[in-house]
Amino acid sequence: MSEWNSLYDAILTGDDKTATAVTEEALEKGAEPLELVNQYMVPAMDEVGKRFEEEEYFIPEMLLSARAMERSLALIQPRLAASGAKPIGRVAIGTVKGDQHDIGKNLVRSMLQGGGFEVYDLGMDVPHEKFIEAIQEKDVNIVCLSTLLTTTMPSMKTIIDNIQQAGLRDRVKVMVGGAPITPEFADQIGADCYGDSAYSAVKLARNLISA
Amino acid sequence: MNGRERIFAVIQNKELDCLPLMPITMMFAADRIGAKYGDYASDCRILAEAQIRTAEEYDFDYVSAISDPAREAADLGANIHYFDDQPPAINEANALLADKTRLAGLKPIDPSQGRRMSDRVQGVALLKERAGSDKLIEGWVEGPCAQGADLRGINRLMMDFMDDPNFVRDLFAFAIDLELKFARAQIEAGADLIGVGDAAASLVGPALYKEFVFPEEKRLVDGIHEMGGMVRLHICGKTKKHYEGMGKLGCETVDLDWMNPMDAAREVMGPDQALCGNIDPVEVVKNGTPEKVWNGLAECHRQTGPKYIVGAGCEIPRESPLENVRAITEYARSNQPVAMP
Ligand code: B12
Repeated sequence: MSEWNSLYDAILTGDDKTATAVTEEALEKGAEPLELVNQYMVPAMDEVGKRFEEEEYFIPEMLLSARAMERSLALIQPRLAASGAKPIGRVAIGTVKGDQHDIGKNLVRSMLQGGGFEVYDLGMDVPHEKFIEAIQEKDVNIVCLSTLLTTTMPSMKTIIDNIQQAGLRDRVKVMVGGAPITPEFADQIGADCYGDSAYSAVKLARNLISA
Repeated sequence: MNGRERIFAVIQNKELDCLPLMPITMMFAADRIGAKYGDYASDCRILAEAQIRTAEEYDFDYVSAISDPAREAADLGANIHYFDDQPPAINEANALLADKTRLAGLKPIDPSQGRRMSDRVQGVALLKERAGSDKLIEGWVEGPCAQGADLRGINRLMMDFMDDPNFVRDLFAFAIDLELKFARAQIEAGADLIGVGDAAASLVGPALYKEFVFPEEKRLVDGIHEMGGMVRLHICGKTKKHYEGMGKLGCETVDLDWMNPMDAAREVMGPDQALCGNIDPVEVVKNGTPEKVWNGLAECHRQTGPKYIVGAGCEIPRESPLENVRAITEYARSNQPVAMP
C-alpha cells in the first residue's frame, strides 16, 4: 500500500491542497476509488484519532485533517457513485434544539462520510421535526444526535419519542453522543447506541446497519 | 470580615477568617428572583438585583456582571439570536468575520456607545453602588481566543491557525484592543476585578497556545493591572496542558474547570497563585448531594493547600438543588484556610 502514501500523509498533517492534488492524480492514473478511501484515507484518520487521544493532536489539527479528508472524498464520491458502489447507509446528523455546539458533531459527520456513509448534516440547534422529515424524505437508516448541554439532553428523548409516535422507529437506528451523554442515559431514553468519539461512531454505525 | 475583605485578603496573603467563596452564577441567579434569562442578559437592573439577592442569600463574597460572551460581538454588529430564557447566542454560520477581509474595516468601538457593552458597564456601576461596601465587584471581558471565535466562528478560527496565522494575530490583537477598552470602562465604573473568559483556548494545543493565545492574554492582563484592576482567569474545559502559561500570566486568581487536577496546578503555578475551583458543576452540584459537594470541596482544598478559593469548575447550573449550593457556602464558612508554609 505504498503507492499513494502521500495521500495518507497529507490527511494526517491536514494539508488539504496536497490531499486533493494527490487524489486527483491517483484517480487520473486509474487508482481504485474505494482503495484510496480504505487504504489511505481511513487509516490516516485512525491515526489522527490516536494522536488526539494521546494529546499530541488537538481540535485544530483534527478539524484540518477532517477537512482534507472531506475534500478528497468529494472528488472520489462521484466515481464511487458512477461505479455503482452504494453507500453503506444513510445518516442524518444534528445538534439538538437549543444547543449551538457543533465542533464534535462536525467531526462525527466527517468520519462517517469517510467511513462510506451518505450523511445529511442538519446543522446545530435543529428543530425536532427536522429529524422526522429527514427520515421520511431522505430515507435515512441512522439518526445521530449530538448535544453538549445538560439542559438540552432531554430533547434527545423527545426526538426518539417523536420518531416512535410518527411510526418510524422501526425504520431507523438512533445513535447519541456529546460530552455529557453516558451509555446509561442512552439506554434510558431508548437510543440504540452511544458513541464517545467521532472514531467510535463509524464502527458503531456499521454495527447498527448490519444488526 | 466581609466578602470583599476576604477576597482581598486571600490575594494579598493576609489572615482570613474562613475560606473565600466565588462560585459563578448566571442562570441560577436569574432563577432566584424569577427573572427570565433573556431579561437578565439585556437589563442590568435585573442582573444586579439577581446577583445581589443571590450573593446575600448564599453569602457569596462577590457579585459579577458576567452574563454571556456575545455583548462585544453584538455591539460590533454581529448577528445574534436572542432567547426568552436562555443566553443570547452568536449566529456562527453568519459570523461577523465569516469573510476575513472585513477585519480591516472593523473598529474597536467605544463601550459607552454600544448597547450591550454599555449595559454591562452600567451593571458594574449598579453593583458597586448597591453592594460595593461588602462584596467584591467583578466585571467581565472575553479573552483573545474566545472573542476571536465569537467574531470569526469557532470552527473557522480553529483552522485559521494553520491556514492564515497572520490573520489570527490581527484578529486577536483587534479583540484585545477592544477588551482593554471594555475593561477600562468597567474598572472606572467600580469593578475591583475583571474576569477574563477564554473558553476556546482549551481546544488548542500547547504550541498554538504559546504562540498565539498567551501573548494576547498577557497583554490583556498587564493592561488591566495598569488600570488598577485585578484579574480572574477562567478557561472552561481541559487546561492542564496550559498550566505553565496560565501561571505566568500573573492573574490574581485562576479558575480551573472540574476535569483538571488542582494539585498539579499548585505545583506548576507555584505557591503564590490563588486558585479557585473545581467540583463538577453538573455531576456534583446539580446531580449530587450536599455530602458529595462537601467531600468534593474538601478534596479540592486538600490538593490546593493555601490560597484556595471555593468554587465549582464552571457556572453553577440552573436547577441545582438549593441545599447543594448551601453546602458550598457551608464548606467555605466552616473551614479555615491551610496556613502558608
Ligand atoms: C466551544 C464551546 C462553546 C462555543 C460553541 C461553538 C460551536 N460552534 O461549537 C460557544 C461559545 C457558542 C458556547 C456557548 C455556550 N456554552 Co459552551 N463550550 C464550548 C467548549 C469550550 C468546547 C466544546 C467543544 O467543542 N469540544 C470539542 C468537541 C470535539 O468535543 P465534543 O463535542 O464532546 O465531541 C466529541 C465527542 O463527545 C463525540 N460526539 C459528539 N457528538 C456526538 C454525536 C454522536 C452521535 C456520537 C457518536 C459522538 C459524538 O465526538 C466528538 C469528537 O470525538 C466547552 C468546554 C470544553 N472545553 O469542553 C463549553 C461547554 C460545552 N459549554 C457550556 C455552556 C454552559 C455554554 C453556554 C450555556 C454558556 C453561556 N452561559 O453562555 C453557551 C450555550 C450556547 C448554546 N445555546 O448552545 C458548558 C456545558 C455544561 C453542561 N454540561 O451543560 C461547557 C462544558 C463549559 C463548562 N465547563 O461549563 N460554548
